Amino acid sequence: MSVLPQLIANSLIAAGTYALLAMGFNLIYGTTKFFNLAHGVMAAVGGYVVFWLTTSFAGMPIFAAAAIGVLGAGAIGAALNRIVYRPLRARKASNMVLLVASLGAFTVIQAVIAMIFTSQFQTLNTAASENVYQIAGASITETQVIILGSAVVVWALLMLFLKLSFFGKAVRAVSDDEEVAKIAGINTEKIMAWTFFIGSAIAGLAGVLIGFDTGIQPTMGLDLLLKGVIAAIVGGVGSVSGAILGAVLLGFVENFGIWKISGEWKDAIAFGLLIIFLIFRPKGIINK
Amino acid sequence: MAYLIHLAILFSIYAMLGISLNLVVGYTGLLSVAQAAFYGVGAYVTALLMVNAGFNFFLAMLVGILAGALIAYLMGLVLSKFSGDFYALASLGFGVIGYSVFLNWQSLTNGPLGIPGIPRPNLFGFIFSDNLSFLVLVLLALVAVWAVARFVVNSSFGRVLKAIREDEKAIQVFGYKTLNYKLVIFVIAAMIAAVAGSFYAAYITYIDPTTFNVFASIFVVAIIILGGLASLRGSILGAAFLVLLPEFLRFVGFPDEIAAQMRQAVYGLLLVLLMLYRPQGLVGEYKL
Repeated sequence: MSVLPQLIANSLIAAGTYALLAMGFNLIYGTTKFFNLAHGVMAAVGGYVVFWLTTSFAGMPIFAAAAIGVLGAGAIGAALNRIVYRPLRARKASNMVLLVASLGAFTVIQAVIAMIFTSQFQTLNTAASENVYQIAGASITETQVIILGSAVVVWALLMLFLKLSFFGKAVRAVSDDEEVAKIAGINTEKIMAWTFFIGSAIAGLAGVLIGFDTGIQPTMGLDLLLKGVIAAIVGGVGSVSGAILGAVLLGFVENFGIWKISGEWKDAIAFGLLIIFLIFRPKGIINK
Repeated sequence: MAYLIHLAILFSIYAMLGISLNLVVGYTGLLSVAQAAFYGVGAYVTALLMVNAGFNFFLAMLVGILAGALIAYLMGLVLSKFSGDFYALASLGFGVIGYSVFLNWQSLTNGPLGIPGIPRPNLFGFIFSDNLSFLVLVLLALVAVWAVARFVVNSSFGRVLKAIREDEKAIQVFGYKTLNYKLVIFVIAAMIAAVAGSFYAAYITYIDPTTFNVFASIFVVAIIILGGLASLRGSILGAAFLVLLPEFLRFVGFPDEIAAQMRQAVYGLLLVLLMLYRPQGLVGEYKL
């Protein structure tokens, strides 16, 4: 039996999670123009909120728990913006200051999660067995289908929202030029607060889905951050559709890479892709 | 007393790391989050040569320094093309790769189990087996590192570095090849970090990859930002402060598992608070 279909399936599933991370990251980068290194840990926040809900309130419907997890991650992201990033922006702090602050915030949140829930690996999936689908010679679990579906749905919703709604147009205006948007009467701080909420919520969704697919641990944020950032930069920094392209490319390169090389080197392969892009095409596939 | 000596040795090692990173971040204005990788290279090369090949500590350290320089040169070739937040991001990626090599190159580094039984330094038959004599040795090394760093930053070479920090384009106009300057200071910093790593390996006599993960790099960033960027005195102060800080937490009496997380949370919180309220640190002459 050929391994090719399974490799393609694995690449797409990985691309799904990376895309969820990268879309939120690019949305936030678009309006605020700084690398929010605390973005990845929002996935851990989402995952652990669901873990806490399903273990302390037995019998809670999974979908309700997942929804609260996603909103919780969004709320933490928005709170971080309100408490840390907004005062810094008000003082015209440089991008580097914001980056270091986000690094600090990431460290604190991860440590606090580990203090409350211990550093152990936990899985959210309590079902004894899961439906596994056979598609063209590849087996995919139900959760993985949901991951792929979520990535596509989130992308479609974001595109519609950015193109059609007034709010979405305001987000694009702030991304293009914050000063001009402000002069045109757009409340830029409000727009940024909402992009933080939405972007972090999408990261939280990724965390919840990963929790059901494999599992969660407090340190999952850093790995997801790096993969999300790589996908975001490779695709085109600040571009939501670019995030999808970057994620697909990263997913395929990574999974086809470990076909011949041992799986532990996945991170090295992913980072190699980033370096190649940074050197030859630093603005990514979609050059904004 | 014995405990104070232990703390003083740790302080000296962290102060060396702080001084090394301050050359890159403070004087040249390039936020590198990869310093733990060179710290690890120094430690691993020294440990492997001493344990497997029976090298003398000082010779092994020399090889470690050269290995650190070589690896930094190769990384720097890529990194020096960037500045600002892209530099920070790319260095973060390199830091992750470094950790992944320590962890996954099992045939060489023994993976997560680490390398036990590293002997103490031996100079013409005198073995630095008690901590007091080791402290004297490591303090001498700290003074030497400080002198080298002082010489570098006060030289004409150091003035070019500061000019790169203030305005890279302007100094390029005057015909300086800034890429070479950025590369050289990165290599010098890596060599000093390798010295710190060698002393760490010989002092603790056991190393494993977790000591050299991304949080170690964040810790060094916290040292220099707390102490103050572009200030050698600041790095020493920052190291002293951050070595003593966890000791106060110890007196509060948290269990060990929690205490480690608590330390991480405190360092992260410190970074956030410094960015918000005192970005120049204690005695810094430059802020991000």
